[in-house]
Amino acid sequence: MPLNDILNTDLIDLNVEGNTKDEVLRYMANVLLKNGYINDAEVFVKDIYEREAEGPTGMGSHISIPHGKSFSVLRNGIMIGKTINPIRWESSMSDDGFQDTHLIFLFCVSADAEFARNHMMLLSELAGKLGNDVRVAKLSKATTKEEILDLILCEDDQLGEAEALEEEEIVDLDIDF
Amino acid sequence: MKIVAVTACTAGIAHTYIVAEKLQKAAEELGHDIKVETQGSAGIENELTAEDIANADVVIYTHDIAIRGASRFAGKKIVDVPISTAMKQPKSLISTIEKKLGK
Repeated sequence: MPLNDILNTDLIDLNVEGNTKDEVLRYMANVLLKNGYINDAEVFVKDIYEREAEGPTGMGSHISIPHGKSFSVLRNGIMIGKTINPIRWESSMSDDGFQDTHLIFLFCVSADAEFARNHMMLLSELAGKLGNDVRVAKLSKATTKEEILDLILCEDDQLGEAEALEEEEIVDLDIDF
Repeated sequence: MKIVAVTACTAGIAHTYIVAEKLQKAAEELGHDIKVETQGSAGIENELTAEDIANADVVIYTHDIAIRGASRFAGKKIVDVPISTAMKQPKSLISTIEKKLGK
């Protein structure tokens, strides 16, 4: 099954309303509800927060990846939202622990382990694609649904160069064997 | 050097896979061989074989929850870091290991 099968243009919204993380999460949960991906927005958001409590989901480059497993999920998928306003979000990448987010990948995953396992494989493949810094930098600048889809679906070697790529400064870490 | 790594995050949905990709890219960029096993909601993928482990100079655990099958790595040099380290500084992680191992 190709990656395209879990991507749904109805779940890409370029004008996500809200000023806070809570407002945008609720807005996006409602889109999932309207499209039949979940049966209860309240329960879904509560389950997303449960995962949020365990660690930051801001991944730098103004992108956040809230996710969680919920029994409210009827269909595994991913909602992609570009926010109208910058949203303050807990981040694993910044020193003060927060970032401004304007692109959100909201993973919608059933809490039932055996449910749509092939979809889970596709979602994991999609998540892996976000491990590429060039793709992430380009997604952060994308302005249309087509651009977002193309960036997700293309192979790494088709990405080309990214402007203003935030390169990691290589330092010695305090680690032991 | 030859690296094997295992990634496992709490939900097993996103970070497990993002970090696997980041480690892969960082190691390749710095000129090392790497194989990364992911332990997430999609099950165990790219599972490390006994041969992979035997040939490895170092094992990296990148995790926020217990690694499954840790006994496979008995006697190996193991670097144990949280997911956040590999999210934020994958190249620094590989480069520091390289320096400490002298490879």
